[in-house]
Amino acid sequence: MNPYILTILLFAMGLGTTITFASSHWLLAWMGLEINTLAILPLMCQSHHPRAVEATIKYFLTQATAAAMLLFASITNAWITGQWNLEFMSYSLPTTLVTVALALKIGLAPLHAWMPEVLQGLDLTTGLILSTWQKLAPFCLLLQINPSNTSLLLILGLASTLVGGWGGLNQNQLRKILAYSSIAHLGWMILVLQFFPSLTLLTLLMYFVMTFSLFITFKVNNSTTINSLSMSWSKAPIISSMVPFILLSLGGLPPLSGFMPKWLILQELTKQSLAPLATLAALSALLSLYFYLRISYAMTLTMSPNILSNALPWRLPSNQHTLPLAITTSLTICLLPLTPAIITLLTL
Amino acid sequence: MLKILIPSMFMLLTTWTSPFKQLWSTILMYSFLVATLSLTWLAMPTDTGWFYINNYMAYDPLSSPLLVLTCWLLPLMIIASQNHLAAEPENRQRTYISLLISLQIFLILAFSATEMIMFYVMFEATLIPTLIIITRWGNQMERLNAGTYFLFYTLAGSLPLLVALLIYHSSMGSLSYLSLTSLPLTCSNLYADKLWWMACLLAFLVKMPLYGVHLWLPKAHVEAPIAGSMVLAAVLLKLGGYGMMRIMIILDPLTKELSYPFIILALWGVIMTGSICLRQTDLKSLIAYSSVSHMGLVAAGILIQTPWGFTGALILMIAHGLTSSALFCLANTNYERTHSRTIILARGLQMVLPLMATWWFLASLANLALPPLPNLMGEIMIITSLFNWSFYTLILTGLGTLITASYSLYMFLLTQRGPIPHHLILLEPSHTREHLLLALHLLPLLLLIAKPELVWGWTA
Repeated sequence: MNPYILTILLFAMGLGTTITFASSHWLLAWMGLEINTLAILPLMCQSHHPRAVEATIKYFLTQATAAAMLLFASITNAWITGQWNLEFMSYSLPTTLVTVALALKIGLAPLHAWMPEVLQGLDLTTGLILSTWQKLAPFCLLLQINPSNTSLLLILGLASTLVGGWGGLNQNQLRKILAYSSIAHLGWMILVLQFFPSLTLLTLLMYFVMTFSLFITFKVNNSTTINSLSMSWSKAPIISSMVPFILLSLGGLPPLSGFMPKWLILQELTKQSLAPLATLAALSALLSLYFYLRISYAMTLTMSPNILSNALPWRLPSNQHTLPLAITTSLTICLLPLTPAIITLLTL
Repeated sequence: MLKILIPSMFMLLTTWTSPFKQLWSTILMYSFLVATLSLTWLAMPTDTGWFYINNYMAYDPLSSPLLVLTCWLLPLMIIASQNHLAAEPENRQRTYISLLISLQIFLILAFSATEMIMFYVMFEATLIPTLIIITRWGNQMERLNAGTYFLFYTLAGSLPLLVALLIYHSSMGSLSYLSLTSLPLTCSNLYADKLWWMACLLAFLVKMPLYGVHLWLPKAHVEAPIAGSMVLAAVLLKLGGYGMMRIMIILDPLTKELSYPFIILALWGVIMTGSICLRQTDLKSLIAYSSVSHMGLVAAGILIQTPWGFTGALILMIAHGLTSSALFCLANTNYERTHSRTIILARGLQMVLPLMATWWFLASLANLALPPLPNLMGEIMIITSLFNWSFYTLILTGLGTLITASYSLYMFLLTQRGPIPHHLILLEPSHTREHLLLALHLLPLLLLIAKPELVWGWTA
C-alpha cells in the first residue's frame, strides 16, 4: 500500500482510539469509535481478495450496528437524564444497551459470530491490529460506565469463555483459532469488570502481549493452518521451541505469566462469593487449552529426532524484525514472579 | 535451603555452557554433589517443627525425605538417559537435561513451600517439563494421547483446588503451613462445604492416583522415556501424597464421614490394579499398574488420619519411589536391547545377564514388600492402622498383599527364569553404567532398613 495512505490510516486509527480515551461526552466517544472503524476498513481489504472484502463488509456491518446502538443508548440517556456525561449513566435501559453494544463491538458471546469469519479473511498483521488495538477503545468505555445489572456481565463473560473454548476445538485454521482464543480471553476480562476494573486492564494487557507473540510467530513462519506449522522447526528452531510456552501461557498454566490474570480473577470472584462461577470459568479454560496443546504438538513436540537433510522447505532470506517477538515472548514466559509489583502499579 | 536451590538453578547454566564432550560427566558430577549436599536435610535435631525457615521455604520431617529423594533422583535420571540420547543432536541433549533440571527445581520449591498457593503453583509447574519430556522424547505414536490425558486429568482436578484454596484464604486470611494448625477449623454441614472438601482433595487424588481417576498413569508411564518414567513414578506421584497430608489439617472434621467412599475406592483399586498386573503383556504397563496399586494403599493410609497411617504412607512413598524407579530402569535395560516392551520377547534373561538378574531379584522382592525392607514397614503400618479403623479392610488389604506378591514374582520369573529364546542369545552385555544405576537405587533402600527414623515423618 502507498506509504502515505498507510500513514494516514494508521494515524487515523490512533486518533480514533485517543479521542475515545480522552472523551467524557458520549458523542465524542462514539465519534472516536467510528473514526477507528472507518480507518481500519481500507487496511482490511487492501489485498482486494474477495475473501478479504467479505471480511471487511462483515466487520463494517457489525461495527456500524454496534455504533448505532451505542448512539441510540446515549441519546436515550441524554433524553432521560438531560446530560451526556459518560460516567453518570444511572438508568438501566441505556446502561444495558451500551453494554450490549460494546459487547458486539469487541466480540463477546453471544455476539461473537462475526469474529472468526472476519479474522479468517485478514492477513496476520491486520488480524493482530483487530485483536489488540481495536479492543482498547470499547474497553475504555466499558471500564467507565457503572453496570446496572450484575448478571449481564457475568453471563456475557461465562458464555464467552465457554464459546471461545468449544468453538476453537474443531478448527485447523490458525486465524479462527486465534479468534476463538480472543473471545475466551475477553470473557475472562468481562467477568471481573464490575468487581475489580484494574484486573480487567491487567488481563487485557497480558492478552495483548501473549497474542502479539503468537500472531508474530505465525507471521514469521508464514503459516495459516496447523499443518503448515509442522515445517517451522527447520525455518526458525528457537521460535519453535518457545512456542509451547507461549501457547501454555495463553492457556493459563503456572508458572507462566498467563496464569497471573486467571489467578487474580479467580481470587476476586471467590472474594465476591461467586465460587461456583469461578470453578466453571476455570474449567472452561481447559477447553481452550486443548487446542493450544494441539497447536504445540503440531509445531514443536512432534519434531523429528534427527536433523533431516531432505524434505526441508526453501529458506529464503527474510528480513523479519523479530525483536518485538523476542521481547513479548520473554514477557509471556517470565512475568509471573512480578505479580505483586504489577498489582500495586495497577491499583495506584 | 538456598545452598541446594541456587546450585540447581545454576546447573541450568552449566548445561548450556559446558563443552559438549564433557557435558554428561560434568552434569553428573554436579548433580551428585547437589544430591550429597541434600543429604544434610535428613539430619533433624528435633522431632517436630520446621527447620531452615526463611519467609518462603522451609522443611520438616514430612518434606525432607521427599526432598532428598528428589535430589537423589536427578543423577540417576542422567545416568539412565545417557544411552538413548547419545544419537541426538547436541542442542537437543542440552534441552533434555535442562528439562530434567528444571523439574528438580520446581519439585524442590514445591516440597519446601510454606504457603499453599506457592505449593499449588509449583505443583502445576512440574506438569510442563514432564509434558514436554513425554510428548517430545517418547517413542511411540500414542505419546501425544498420553500427554493430553496426563495434562488434562491433573488440571481438571487441580483447578477446583485453586478455587478452594482461594475460598479458604478469603475466609481465614492466611494459607501458610506454619499457621494452618492454629487457625479455626471449618465446622459446618452445608452442602457447599462438602463440595469444598472434595475440591481440596480431588487434585491430589488424581495425582496419586486414586483407582477411578488413574487412567492417565499407565499411558504416561508407558509412553515416557526412561527419565520421564523415573521421575513420574518416584516423585511426581508423591506430590499428590504430600499435598494430601498437608491439606488434611484444615479438612477435619468433614473427613470423618466424607472419606469413606475414597478409602473403599483406594482399597478396591489395590486389588483391581493388582489383578490387571497379572494379565499384562507390556512390562512397563505392569510396573505402572503396580504403582497405582501401591499408591492406593498410601491414599487409604492418609485418609484415615492416624499417626501410623501417616507414617506408613510416608515410608511407603519413599520406598515405592526407589523401587518403582529401579523397576523402570530394569525394564529400560530390556527395552534398549530389544526395542520392545513385550514381556515374552525378553524371557529367561538370567542365563544371558546373570548380574542384572540379581538386581531384578532385589527389585522384585522390594516390590512385594519383603521384610526387612522399608516397603514392608510402610505396608504393615498402613494395614495395621486400617485394621484398627475397621476389621473388614483386612480382607481387602490381605488379598492385595497376596496379589502384589503374585504379580511381582510373576514378573521376576517371566523375565529371568525359564529357557531363553533363540533371538536373545547374542544380547548386548550389561553396561557398568546400568549396574551403577541400579545399585544407586537399591542401596539406599537397603540402608534404610537400618535407620527408618530418617523417613518416617513427624508422627511416629
